[in-house]
Amino acid sequence: MSWRKSHFARAPREDQLDSELRLHIEGLTAENIAAGMSPEEARRQAMLAFGGREQIKEDLRDVYRIGILETTLANLRSAFRFFRKSPSFSLAIVFTLALGIGANSAVFSAIDAILLRPLPFPNGDQLMQLEETYPQIAMPSTFVAPVRLEEWNRMNSTFQAISGYYVENGSETSGALPERITRAWVAPRFLQVWGISPALGRDFSSAESSFGGPLAILISDRLWRRRFGADPNAIGRTLRVDGASFPIIGILPASFFFADRDVDVWAVVPANAPYTQNRAATWYAAIGRLKPGVTLNDARANLAAVQSQLGAAYPETDARLAVGILPLKEITVSGSRKSLWILYGAVSVLLLIACTNIVTLLLARASRRQQEIAVRFSLGAPRFALVAQLVTEVFVLALAGAVLGLFFAKAASGIFRALAADLPRVDEIHLDSRIVLYSLFSSVVVTLLCGIIPTLRGTRRNLAASLSHNSRTQVSGRHFLQWLLVGVQVALAVTLLAGAGLLFRSFQALGRVSPGFDSSHILTFHLSASWAETADPKVLSKRIAHTVDSLAALPGVESVATAGNLPGVPAKFQTEVQLPDAPFDPTQKIVTESRFVSPTYFATMRILLFEGEPCREGSGSTFQAVVNRTFANTYLPSSPAVGHHVLLAGDLFKMGASPITAIVGDARETGINHQPVPTIYFCSSAPVPDPNYLVRTRAEPMAMAETIRRHLHEIEPARSAFNFLSLDDHLSNAFAENRLRTILLAFFASTAIALAGVGLYGTLSYSVTTRRREVALRLALGADRNRIVQHFLLRALSVCAAGCVAGFLLAIASSRLLATMLYGVSPSDATTFAAVFAAVLIFAILASLAPAIRAAQVEPMQVLREE
Amino acid sequence: MPIEKSDLLQGTLDMLILKIVALGPIHGYGISLRIRQISREVLQVQQGSLYPALHRLEKRGWLAADWGESESGRQAKFYKLSVKGRKHLLSEESNWRRLSGAVGQILQTAE
Repeated sequence: MSWRKSHFARAPREDQLDSELRLHIEGLTAENIAAGMSPEEARRQAMLAFGGREQIKEDLRDVYRIGILETTLANLRSAFRFFRKSPSFSLAIVFTLALGIGANSAVFSAIDAILLRPLPFPNGDQLMQLEETYPQIAMPSTFVAPVRLEEWNRMNSTFQAISGYYVENGSETSGALPERITRAWVAPRFLQVWGISPALGRDFSSAESSFGGPLAILISDRLWRRRFGADPNAIGRTLRVDGASFPIIGILPASFFFADRDVDVWAVVPANAPYTQNRAATWYAAIGRLKPGVTLNDARANLAAVQSQLGAAYPETDARLAVGILPLKEITVSGSRKSLWILYGAVSVLLLIACTNIVTLLLARASRRQQEIAVRFSLGAPRFALVAQLVTEVFVLALAGAVLGLFFAKAASGIFRALAADLPRVDEIHLDSRIVLYSLFSSVVVTLLCGIIPTLRGTRRNLAASLSHNSRTQVSGRHFLQWLLVGVQVALAVTLLAGAGLLFRSFQALGRVSPGFDSSHILTFHLSASWAETADPKVLSKRIAHTVDSLAALPGVESVATAGNLPGVPAKFQTEVQLPDAPFDPTQKIVTESRFVSPTYFATMRILLFEGEPCREGSGSTFQAVVNRTFANTYLPSSPAVGHHVLLAGDLFKMGASPITAIVGDARETGINHQPVPTIYFCSSAPVPDPNYLVRTRAEPMAMAETIRRHLHEIEPARSAFNFLSLDDHLSNAFAENRLRTILLAFFASTAIALAGVGLYGTLSYSVTTRRREVALRLALGADRNRIVQHFLLRALSVCAAGCVAGFLLAIASSRLLATMLYGVSPSDATTFAAVFAAVLIFAILASLAPAIRAAQVEPMQVLREE
Repeated sequence: MPIEKSDLLQGTLDMLILKIVALGPIHGYGISLRIRQISREVLQVQQGSLYPALHRLEKRGWLAADWGESESGRQAKFYKLSVKGRKHLLSEESNWRRLSGAVGQILQTAE
């Protein structure tokens, strides 16, 4: 019958039914009176014989069902009636699901905000990052020269606009004390590429974007509030940054935080300025906005053609260059992708365990409801109708769980945001309609997962018929399905536990690593500086050397160094070099990590000197070099390394050949969790205007921060010092995501094992209850009570052990996911697995001891008499 | 000992109802009385089964229903057999005869 037609096959009106049934009762009453009863008694007996009037009406539903709305409403009514009858059962399910769905939705909200949504700009998926790359030599891609950026922008046909920016720390000096200010220098068309306009004021004019035009600056919403109290008249006022006055022309929206969250002001670099014409001066992180409908591959092909034209026009600087294009979103979030999906996997497994748990509960309940189901069957209810009703019950529970779960998710995502402040886009995590929809969707999935098996089993006709009569006397089955589900729960929980254990062991292993340098008692900071200073490298390195020497003379300071990168904080700068005077196969590439450090770096970081003399500060653009032992052993195994020269492949920066003055010990420069790689240190304190300063202090490093800050103010009054942090804290922050992942996974795993424990307890209790008679019989026949306890314990433990084995197999199978996050442990680490096994066993004994003991305390005579 | 509905063969109740309604328009209480009387109290039909069955048969179009006055002067729902129902009853009856005949045959032969 079609749904539409059935909608008109309406049930008889309530009052018609009533009068039909009333007539029947009156007839029965009359019979009873005729048999000699008093009228009241006759009526009472008639009602009794008639049975529940409401029940009959209820049953009539099966006859008139199929109207989809009515059926659903009726199913809902019966579901609510059921919950009223067994509130604790329902609450247990709702609460379990709320936790499961809540945790799942919280992690999904993070995935949605960080990985799935486009960047928060109009048509954010059109935004691309562009880089200069060197396809033929192993060189990291570099920033883009302003002149080349303009050419790309002019000559391409796939981008609406290409712009760029770089960030430096300056000092704003219109107040009483210099204030550190983070300034982004941007190429023309910057706001056009982002597709935004200032919240107040205007964008740069074309006059301001050309050389010799008026100065202008855009400021952040934050600076506007901090400095000007959100006064709209701030437009037109001036800021004094590094000695120049900039009139404020606009305030950017609060939600705009590119290039990064710290940028306070944006100033434009004229494209036609003489200092932007050097083809080798690469400054900009370039961003572009694709034209609508253009694909990434189109853009790549187009820019490759543009660059090959430039290569022909400027063979010396451009022939070896290529253009790398990647979606900006990819660059922003790709580092967190794996962690997030792993967490999502973990919470999904958790939800699966919760579902499995609920299936067990429902199965137990279904067997208690078989009487009811048998009656409905014999009344001619189609199986579909019964299935629909039971599934509706589960769905209502799942829905309640999802709604409650949303509250959990709200709390959880608050915690997540606080814990994961370093994740990209973390402020974009919100619980909105998408997350609500997701939760609803989860509740539907949960309903299907949890509802189908118990429902189909519960409504098997033959089972229903047979058990409706015999459930009390039969020796019950062995509950194979329930135990299987317990095993599944244990297996899933073990998988999570093993994962968490491996991450935890990696963390321990990291703590034991000897990094090759001494990170304790090192204070790090930055001193504001402008990239304009690189115009005269001699003055710059003199200035920095002066700061270093002056700090080193402070009491409490042992030594001071500078470095382009902090040691041990993950960062890579892989370069290709040549060893011109070594007997070396010219076809083999020499790829090495390269670092720029001051000559005092090795002493300050306590990196061992094996051979040679410490290097001296380079002069001009030529530097001395120091190599680590791995470099010497790998690339110069047969001849003494000291005395050789190294040359950057192609001499890209016109540095010339650097003499190697020393071999030092291997230090884990690229990250504590990375084996030392061949490394070259070029001795220059000033590769960039604001390198990291590293101060070895005698006492607790942060205690020296104030002294150093005051001293710097004396010797460099126009500069601001900032980001004071100990190196140990930097190293610990570098593993913050790692730690968060470990903590969360451990949390999920312990929740999982707790849920599995509850499942085990529930199933064993149920098994004990239904087998009371059997146990009583055995006891009556002289069985030992200890044997009974043993029997039940053994059953529970063997299921858990099987679950453990399955879990370990699962863990090993999925260890590929974790492999890159592990350090110093193998994915099938025996210690971890043994610990997990022991933990699960203890947990299993705790969960099953009480029901097993209860089983043995059965009083045989009492139980046997009950039947 | 009275035989209760749950022991009746599936579909038997429907046939009994159709048969009784075939004798003339009758209300629900009348049907249950009639089944008891004719079967000499051997068959007890629970009201919980009777009414769902009646409504189901009506919905299938085998029974038609009218509201009329009962013997006691109350409004009552009278069921009567439709043409479709009569056909169905005939085929059910012949099925039943064949079946019970066959079963009887087996019981006799096996004695």
